[in-house]
Amino acid sequence: MKRTASRLAYTVIVLFVSSIAVFYAIRLSGGDATAAALPGSATEEFREEFRDRLGLNEPIYQQYFTYMGRILSGDPGNSLTNNKALTDMLTEHGRNSLILGGTAFGLVFLVGIPLGILASLRRNSWADQGIMSLSTVAMAVPNFWLALLAVWLFASTLGWLPSAGCCGTKQLILPAVVLAFEGIALTVRMTRSAMIESQNSDYVRTLRAGGLSEWRITCKHVLRNALIPIISLAGLRIGQIVGYALIVETIFGWPGLGQVLVNAVLRRDYPVAQFFSLVLVALVVLGNWLADTGYTIANPRLRKST
Amino acid sequence: MNAIAVGSRPGEVPSGHDRSPLLEIEDLRISIASDASSFEVVKGVALTVCENEIVCLVGESGCGKSMTALSVMGLLPRGIAEVTGGRIAFEGQSLLSLQKRELRRLRADSISMIFQDPITSLDPVFTIGSVLEEVIRSHRDVSRTEAREIAVRALMEAELPDAADRLDSYPHQLSGGMRQRVMIALAIALDPKLLIADEPTTALDVTVQAQILENLRERQREREMGMLLITHDLAVVASVADRVAVMYAGEIVEEAPVDELFSDPQHPYTQGLIRALPDISVSKGSLYSIPGRVPPPQVPPPGCLFAPRCEHALDLCWEASPELSRDGAKSLRCINAQPFEIG
Amino acid sequence: MTELDASRSSHAQAWDERVAAYEKEARANPWQKKLRKFSRNKLLFTGSVLGILIIGLGLIGPLIIGSDYVGQSLRNTHLPPLSEGYLLGTDQYGRDLLVRLCIGIRVSLFVAAAVTSIALVVGMALGMCGGFLGGTVDRAVRSVTDFIWGFPLILVAVLLAGGLGQGLFPVILAVGIVNVAAITRVVRGEVVVLRAKEFVEAARACGISRFRIMWRHLLPNVMAPALVLASYYVAVAIIAEAGLSFIGLGAQPPLPSLGKMVADGRGFLRINHWESTVPGIGIAGLVLSVSLIGDGLRDVFDPQLRHEAKGVEKG
Repeated sequence: MKRTASRLAYTVIVLFVSSIAVFYAIRLSGGDATAAALPGSATEEFREEFRDRLGLNEPIYQQYFTYMGRILSGDPGNSLTNNKALTDMLTEHGRNSLILGGTAFGLVFLVGIPLGILASLRRNSWADQGIMSLSTVAMAVPNFWLALLAVWLFASTLGWLPSAGCCGTKQLILPAVVLAFEGIALTVRMTRSAMIESQNSDYVRTLRAGGLSEWRITCKHVLRNALIPIISLAGLRIGQIVGYALIVETIFGWPGLGQVLVNAVLRRDYPVAQFFSLVLVALVVLGNWLADTGYTIANPRLRKST
Repeated sequence: MNAIAVGSRPGEVPSGHDRSPLLEIEDLRISIASDASSFEVVKGVALTVCENEIVCLVGESGCGKSMTALSVMGLLPRGIAEVTGGRIAFEGQSLLSLQKRELRRLRADSISMIFQDPITSLDPVFTIGSVLEEVIRSHRDVSRTEAREIAVRALMEAELPDAADRLDSYPHQLSGGMRQRVMIALAIALDPKLLIADEPTTALDVTVQAQILENLRERQREREMGMLLITHDLAVVASVADRVAVMYAGEIVEEAPVDELFSDPQHPYTQGLIRALPDISVSKGSLYSIPGRVPPPQVPPPGCLFAPRCEHALDLCWEASPELSRDGAKSLRCINAQPFEIG
Repeated sequence: MTELDASRSSHAQAWDERVAAYEKEARANPWQKKLRKFSRNKLLFTGSVLGILIIGLGLIGPLIIGSDYVGQSLRNTHLPPLSEGYLLGTDQYGRDLLVRLCIGIRVSLFVAAAVTSIALVVGMALGMCGGFLGGTVDRAVRSVTDFIWGFPLILVAVLLAGGLGQGLFPVILAVGIVNVAAITRVVRGEVVVLRAKEFVEAARACGISRFRIMWRHLLPNVMAPALVLASYYVAVAIIAEAGLSFIGLGAQPPLPSLGKMVADGRGFLRINHWESTVPGIGIAGLVLSVSLIGDGLRDVFDPQLRHEAKGVEKG
């Protein structure tokens, strides 16, 4: 448990550092902030007053602390473009993103692990070669193009599924599959190599010498050991899904956090960009911590402090 | 005289072929397939292990002794090494023709094996108790509590300290020597008739080595097991073996009861091994080593495999492979054996 | 070792010669052996052929067909492939898709080359220093790379684009930073293992300076894994640039980027889907060839690397 606690402390530090990084990154172009909110005809005095009101004229480190104070007190401010409260946007879009991201995350493991196991058990068979070639190709196809192909095939041509929209099951299928696609391919490959490594290990030889059935060894011992590296990279899969969500949500018009963030960056709506970057960064960092905790639980060598 | 004295063990039955044989290996051939080529690493090995005797298989690393042991268990690495000929029989039953399930039933129950590296040989994510229990219950119809009792008894026999408390330990919480004791417990828990130990002490500290060996010998004697001990260490051979088979480049070159092998080795390779033992009674003698190197398995010499390193090699030795000739309890693969003298 | 008499029999001499001949062949120049392995490796072969074709198209194509990627022809919009004068057809402004494809490939290659050279040089330097020098340097290197490595690349790029504005520069910077972290991690791990090896200890015992040990003894050993990994990150860079350009954050019009071209063709899927299919195939082909080369290099150089490589982050 010591490890988990120290990782938690590390996570908090990472959160702090990344909040500074995000704040500065978005503020690098600070002067333009008024361009998004005010019409082009606004006078310089008016702009100046606007900046004052938002606190943009204070030293930047002070702005940071003011800003973090407001976030922690639950009032991160409003959007510059439509004046909506950011907290309302978070609950509304966050829910959508959780549905999409959660489904994709589930697909990555529920599809990836069984396929990887199948490939490792039928090594060098046609099934294995098929799965492995497919996963190589799947990793090469950029997901935005895959999204277009999927829309073209399933929405435009076959008419089975809607091409965009929110938030029913039918609308969820295409974006979730596209979002999970590369993660599935990576998980298949990782599962396969971890299974094969475990199958060739000395401890499996010991269990064979102990007369256990091959089936039992595979299901219990090989799989349990192979899961450890897979779990250890689950945090990366979370990050991957968060990153790709920016693209996939934009393509499918899925009103989630990613779409909001991309639009805000394109429109230079900096309070939105800043706040939702922070939210996504926090999500990634906490996801990494959760994955690390899972790894610690799955691995007895780390579980009990030694 | 030599540093390794062969201790006489009073009250012991002299070894020989008068007991019923447990394991009979005849003309065993094993090939390794690599990228493009395949070559033989075990070339017609014949070996017998009887009840209540310890047979040592000695040789340098890479001579095929571990492959021989693994083939008995049916555990040769799949897709890499393969039995290409010969016969392995356990209590008269051929192991090579057995169904997978029948072979599995024999493992741990009738034949069990201990491996060289105890660090990697135990599943790291399960407690040693659960693994022992799983193996016991896959062969015996017993309850979990009974299985744990058997496991504790086996661990105690393997002299693991605080055996009962260790059941819930993970392998990483034990030292190398303790893990090897767990491996021994796993191997003897079901009272097998034959125990194969592949370099069981090589990876351990010298002080632990002696304890483990002593323990193995005690278990073997009290259960009257047959035991095939594979080692490259003549000191180990001298301290536990009843009979010794010396292996060189995939062939058995000499086999003899242990006393005779050390007092009167016949094959020049065996003689070289014994001469190479450091002698602590001579304070500053130069060490002997067998000249030359083991021939690469890809290019075997035309005749006797040892001829390139042999001081007494005749032209005939280069031309034809000598046969293994039997003489009572002894056998020898050499046509020009010379009397042994310590050089 | 005592040697046998010089007066060995003719048999023995013949035998010695045979072994010597065998060993000479087995010891044959390791590069020669690797080359032989290269040419036998199917992945590498397919990947290289595909890669040479696509790169050739990008580099040499414009020299033959011209590089006028902005020229519009409003009479010839949305032409399908194999139309007269336009081998791959045209887009919504009547611009030649083949020319734009070639230039798009150039953009991808430029980004990939820039990112990968930054990542290799900086990543290897940081990784070797961290791993070999240890102590505070190592702790600093490790915490910074762990920090960056955990972040999704697209998010970093979007953040930088938010600060620096849209364009190729923030894309290169973002992908560069993340890839530096990835290569640093692996190189550092390798060096920590190497540091404990006997040959490094021997070099130290001989009083060779730390810099020289790193340069002469460690560098050649981490080169192979770093190169294999770098080939994976070339693929990452290409996909990231295309994806960011697709959502409008990367290359800005009229410069054609493959990702931007796919996005532009999006609205006309029913009229002429080739406008986004052609650049899409371009990206997929490029990435596929790079990943195949990466897989092949891994098989040849370092079968141990597969775990790290499988965890490659592309998000």
